[in-house]
Amino acid sequence: MSFDFAIIVDALPKMLMGIGLTFQLLIISAILGLTLAIGLMLMRISGKWYLSWPAQVYIYIFRGTPILVQIFIIYYGFPQLEFIRDSFLWPMFRDPFGCAIFALTLNTGAYVSEILRGGVLGVDRGILEAGSALGLSVRQKFIYLTTPIATRLALPAYGNDIISLLKSTALASTITLADMTGIARTLVAQTFAPYEIFISLAIVYMILTWILQKSLGRVERYLGRYMEK
Amino acid sequence: MEALVGWWDDYFWGSVVVAQVFICSLVLMVIFGLIGAAAKLSNSVIAQKLANGYTIVFRGTPEILVILLLYFGSAIALTSIAQIFNPEVKFLDVPPFWAGTIAIALIVGSYATETFRGAFLGVNPGSIEAARALGMSNLQTFIYVRIPEMWRLALPAFGNHMLSLIKDTALISIIGLNETLFVAKQAIGTTGEPFIMYIVVGMIYLAFSTVITLTVMGLERYGQRHMVNVR
Amino acid sequence: MTAQALIQMTNVGKFFGAFQALKGINLQVSKGERIVVCGPSGSGKSTMIRCINRLEKHDEGQIIIGGKELTDQVEDINAVRREVGMVFQSFNLFPHMTIVKNLMLAQRLVRKIPKAEAKATAMEYLERVKIPEQADKYPIQLSGGQQQRVAIARALCMKPKIILFDEPTSALDPEMIHEVLEVMTDLARDGMTMICVTHEMGFARSVADRVIFMDAGEIIEEADPKTFFNAPKSERTKKFLSQILTH
Repeated sequence: MSFDFAIIVDALPKMLMGIGLTFQLLIISAILGLTLAIGLMLMRISGKWYLSWPAQVYIYIFRGTPILVQIFIIYYGFPQLEFIRDSFLWPMFRDPFGCAIFALTLNTGAYVSEILRGGVLGVDRGILEAGSALGLSVRQKFIYLTTPIATRLALPAYGNDIISLLKSTALASTITLADMTGIARTLVAQTFAPYEIFISLAIVYMILTWILQKSLGRVERYLGRYMEK
Repeated sequence: MEALVGWWDDYFWGSVVVAQVFICSLVLMVIFGLIGAAAKLSNSVIAQKLANGYTIVFRGTPEILVILLLYFGSAIALTSIAQIFNPEVKFLDVPPFWAGTIAIALIVGSYATETFRGAFLGVNPGSIEAARALGMSNLQTFIYVRIPEMWRLALPAFGNHMLSLIKDTALISIIGLNETLFVAKQAIGTTGEPFIMYIVVGMIYLAFSTVITLTVMGLERYGQRHMVNVR
Repeated sequence: MTAQALIQMTNVGKFFGAFQALKGINLQVSKGERIVVCGPSGSGKSTMIRCINRLEKHDEGQIIIGGKELTDQVEDINAVRREVGMVFQSFNLFPHMTIVKNLMLAQRLVRKIPKAEAKATAMEYLERVKIPEQADKYPIQLSGGQQQRVAIARALCMKPKIILFDEPTSALDPEMIHEVLEVMTDLARDGMTMICVTHEMGFARSVADRVIFMDAGEIIEEADPKTFFNAPKSERTKKFLSQILTH
């Protein structure tokens, strides 16, 4: 069994063509997911049961089931339902890209909302008391005190979730999308060289992860430069 | 809904496979995690570098890719080796069960190395000093002082690792493991009802993760039974 | 001319679950008075002053501040908090803002003072607590004593009618206690009404108009410093004083 570098040299550019799709999936899902997460988190901490409970149930379901199953339900399952086919959202669900974004967004939204909630709960009570003592309203405390501090607290865990999201984009290959993994699997089927292709693909992902980690680390350090350790 | 009628026992056996994968990968994950943590905590620079490499590789690679790599890669390796002995052999593979189990154990194990390492370092150094001062040996200190505190500290993160394991099991269906998602695919082939079939899979996994979460909560409470809350 | 009481607490009680933290508290504070509250841990001293700006809610009795009764109405609470400043044991400066921004935030949000004026006030009070050069630093870069002085300035920027001090020097290293007490003494000399929970008996002796001793949620004794320290009436007061003054 030999390790054929020629295969890698040939395969790598082809796989890298999928990087655009990988990034599209990553960035769009991350932004939409973050928005969803903020909404869910606010519902969770609202104190009103009719907001908090639905949010909790949603988070429980999306964190308790595999993301692959979520993707399949949306891509294979939704088209079966008439009300989906009739709705204005049908163009999105008919298309594997739309389904992938939808699934990844819903999934990361659940995880990130818990991360944000952790940040909010981690804000020192004394700081909020000082705000109260000065006469700040609940809303003012949340905007000027809680949010900046909670953001910094949540950054490390959020960074980890972004990296998880990057890895989850590879699952888009299971619903026919030609991201890097999708192209790789096609190439493996053609060349029967799983080692060379998959290992080089893994290295590409590792490099991307490394870049993400370094950038996030820098953001963390910059924002946290004057905060208590 | 009637579509499900013939499939319940297939789903049941699929769930059994999920449970089997969980137990095997759990054991392996703990082993890999402990070895990795020990390496990171050791004085050997080589061991630390290897352990760090292990973490970087498996944290930076998508789970599906690891599974595919291990399965197809090992199949090729085994086939080549077997062909040396018996040229008639066309194809020899590692059963998807083991390829998948080892793959997810390696992946989650890489996260577990950090968890165990953190738990080890998190044990109150004062307790260790007290044990030494009382004359306890290293081994005794480890068993009676370190470990009880360690598993209490590691428990929440360890619970998350267990949840990761159970959810990653679904990925192994991609290489043909006969667990619930795979069953669903077959069921859809004959019944043409993807939505309900996949929802059932979701509910099965949700049930598994609920059991794990409740167990961890119970263990956490058990671990805190002697801890008094200072007012 | 009757001096109207700035603060009037009548028969105030407070429970934490089954535990009674305050019992039958009667207290009157007039404008310009300097009150020191002392007592053992858990005696309810902090709880009592935290009821004044409603960081804690009292369960029994009445609290009237500047003629207005403290209730659950939000407008009442915020009206009170504007006029009552507080300095905390752990300073509680906003870690993500510079010192000057710390001082400006409440002015702008609560009193709606425009930016330039708020900054001028902030710098004025930073000068008063003697650390104007730290204006653009972050709290983490300052020592404990400096942080507490900033906290005092922050409370002063709201131009409150009364300041509450909750063990302001208890979290400080000994060598920094003096600089904070100095600022508090200056404040007292300038006529600021204050209630100060503290163990610093030297400060009580030199600055206070009245010293109050609390134990187990009740006010045991109340007197001017001279009487309080030289001729305490209650046994519990005597016991406490002997413990705190000997070492």
